[in-house]
Amino acid sequence: MANAASGMAVHDDCKLRFLELKAKRTHRFIVFKIEEKQKQVVVEKVGEPTQNYDDFTASLPVDECRYAVYDFDFVTAENCQKSRIFFIAWSPDTSRVRSKMIYASSKDRFKRELDGIQVELQATDPTEMGLDVIKSRAN
Amino acid sequence: MAQLAETYACVPSTERGRGILISGDSKSNSILYCNGRSVIIRYLDRPLEVQVYGEHAYPATVARYSPNGEWIASADVSGTVRIWGTRNEFVLKKEFRVLSGRIDDLQWSPDGQRIVASGDGKGKSLVRAFMWDSGTNVGDFDGHSRRVLSCAFKPTRPFRIVTCGEDFLVNFYEGPPFKFKLSHRDHSNFVNCVRFSPDGSKFISVGSDKKGIIYDAKTGDIIGKLSSEDGHKGSIYAISWSPDSKQVLTASADKSAKIWEISEDNIGKVKKTLTCPGSGGVDDMLVGCLWQNDHIVTVSLGGTIFLYSASDLDKAPLSLSGHMKNVSSLALLKSEPKVILSSSYDGLIVKWLQGTGYYGKLERKVISQIKCLAVVEEEIVSSGFDNKVWRVSLQGDQCGNAECIDIGNQPKDLNLALLSPDLALVTIDTGVILLRGSKVVSTIDLGFTVTASAIAPNGTEAIVGSQDGKLHVYSITGDTLNEEAVLEKHRGAITVIRYSPDVSMFASGDANREAVVWDCASREVKLKNMLYHTARINCIAWSPDNSMVATGSLDTCIIIYEVDKPASSRITIKGAHLGGVYGLVFTDEHSLVSSGEDACIRVWTVTPQ
Repeated sequence: MANAASGMAVHDDCKLRFLELKAKRTHRFIVFKIEEKQKQVVVEKVGEPTQNYDDFTASLPVDECRYAVYDFDFVTAENCQKSRIFFIAWSPDTSRVRSKMIYASSKDRFKRELDGIQVELQATDPTEMGLDVIKSRAN
Repeated sequence: MAQLAETYACVPSTERGRGILISGDSKSNSILYCNGRSVIIRYLDRPLEVQVYGEHAYPATVARYSPNGEWIASADVSGTVRIWGTRNEFVLKKEFRVLSGRIDDLQWSPDGQRIVASGDGKGKSLVRAFMWDSGTNVGDFDGHSRRVLSCAFKPTRPFRIVTCGEDFLVNFYEGPPFKFKLSHRDHSNFVNCVRFSPDGSKFISVGSDKKGIIYDAKTGDIIGKLSSEDGHKGSIYAISWSPDSKQVLTASADKSAKIWEISEDNIGKVKKTLTCPGSGGVDDMLVGCLWQNDHIVTVSLGGTIFLYSASDLDKAPLSLSGHMKNVSSLALLKSEPKVILSSSYDGLIVKWLQGTGYYGKLERKVISQIKCLAVVEEEIVSSGFDNKVWRVSLQGDQCGNAECIDIGNQPKDLNLALLSPDLALVTIDTGVILLRGSKVVSTIDLGFTVTASAIAPNGTEAIVGSQDGKLHVYSITGDTLNEEAVLEKHRGAITVIRYSPDVSMFASGDANREAVVWDCASREVKLKNMLYHTARINCIAWSPDNSMVATGSLDTCIIIYEVDKPASSRITIKGAHLGGVYGLVFTDEHSLVSSGEDACIRVWTVTPQ
């Protein structure tokens, strides 16, 4: 079991799924959840490569915090196909304070386990992770 | 996409007892003036096209074009001068902290290399002249002990600077580097304005003692004066030379502007008096003037700009007006053609016509401040900062009799049931008051702090928003309210509630920058996540076909959402009004009119994607 210093362990499955997303492109997104009782970060949901950004936003709960990784494909100004791996710390204003605290303190250690994240983003309401925000951070 | 179609500009901000200085550019036929923190550039031949420069952090006082027309130097009350380009989105060239107090006048040297600025400050720093690009001082300007109201640069070589001020002195400096040469104390009151003639041969100073004195430009000696027969009967606030240096225009507190002909022996004789065509109150005192090419522009204390033609002085002037202060509400009169009414807190109601602009002021028999305004076919209901609600009938263009209703508490918000305009809902601190006609039918204490309200057009339902973000829906039966439901979604005090024109939906906005669209019948949320503003939402408007809802906020943006699409596909208008957007109304499916703190009203053309 990989360890996290803040007391929250990271389940091996998280790292495996992330490597699959990075190397083999078998997932569009991964949503991680902290299971308080088991004190670890586990994979909650995985998205097919055919799904798009709207499917991803729909899979995030409105009132609870999550961590998410999204593989964003776009075309640059010079007409090259590029992709960026986004790490999104979803911490909505309407969630409970305890939840926000736990996710915030464990985030750093967890991110370090996932090697290869290119852009990090924190969203406190749906407008902060809108498609236009993602596009502007992508280049 | 939303594009700016028209701007109904604000007017220069004026102060009783002081003149204002407007300037212009003869090449682009534009005039420059300041209102609040903005510098307004207005084109005399295209009054609906206005450019606004809003980069000053303090209220701006005066702005001038450089002689080559490429740069504008503008100054504000903190003593800062900003030099920016006229083209290319007003890119800033340099900013200098010139004086330690407010700057009252600013002039470029004719070669565009030096700028002289005068104003208020301490000791020596009442006037400063500096190089425009480096800011290095080019002279010592002692000789004044009080605020220097105006300064002028001789337009031909050898260069001279003349300054005048509240210490009744007119000082003459030679240079560069500028040194004090001599001073005149012939005025017996504040000297308000001093200007060189365009050919550089003379300069005139005018003051609050109603006198105008003519001096020789090279030596600074007095050579003549403006004749006192048929002269002004009030303080003269501003003076402007004609381009041929033979005539001058003066603007005075006696509500008239006079054109003087300067004869060979340097005596000025009145050639023509232009009286201000107004109702004759204090607002008609003229505080500024400008003679540019063929145009004569005078500005009154009430902010009205009169445009005369110099070649045809008997023609009635074109008058342009607008608001001087924050326009807090907008309403649409459904008459043909559609007239937009805008009101500001100082009690001014102005009528505008889309496509033409200023249409007239609504002459009200009672001038009281206005906080809330509601308009229906032939009636205006307004409330101010006292305990009264005024109902004024509109007869055509003028206001009829005003009925005043004392409701016993300060009204916070005012709503009319559009289909039965007799019924009005007025919210006070902890409750609501129902009015029918001019009678208070009931005062209901609701027990919570009320912040916003709306009443359905048929008068059967009312929604009241409270400080804690809850929306209370009441049904109105007779004279009582029965609570039907309490809706909780907002996380801040409710600031505005509006029903859609077909009454199937209503939209509410709060102080926590969120707006929500609800369905009336089921009271369910119809459109959420309208969180794209970054500050309190001030106003909401529905389009006539119920498809779009627009929200205006303190963060100066207007966001237009389509009710059938998710909130993320929105149209944003950034920077619509410096200081915040306070009024919004749709005139038809594609035109949105907005008003804000900068006293301007803008018309936007909205095309859904």
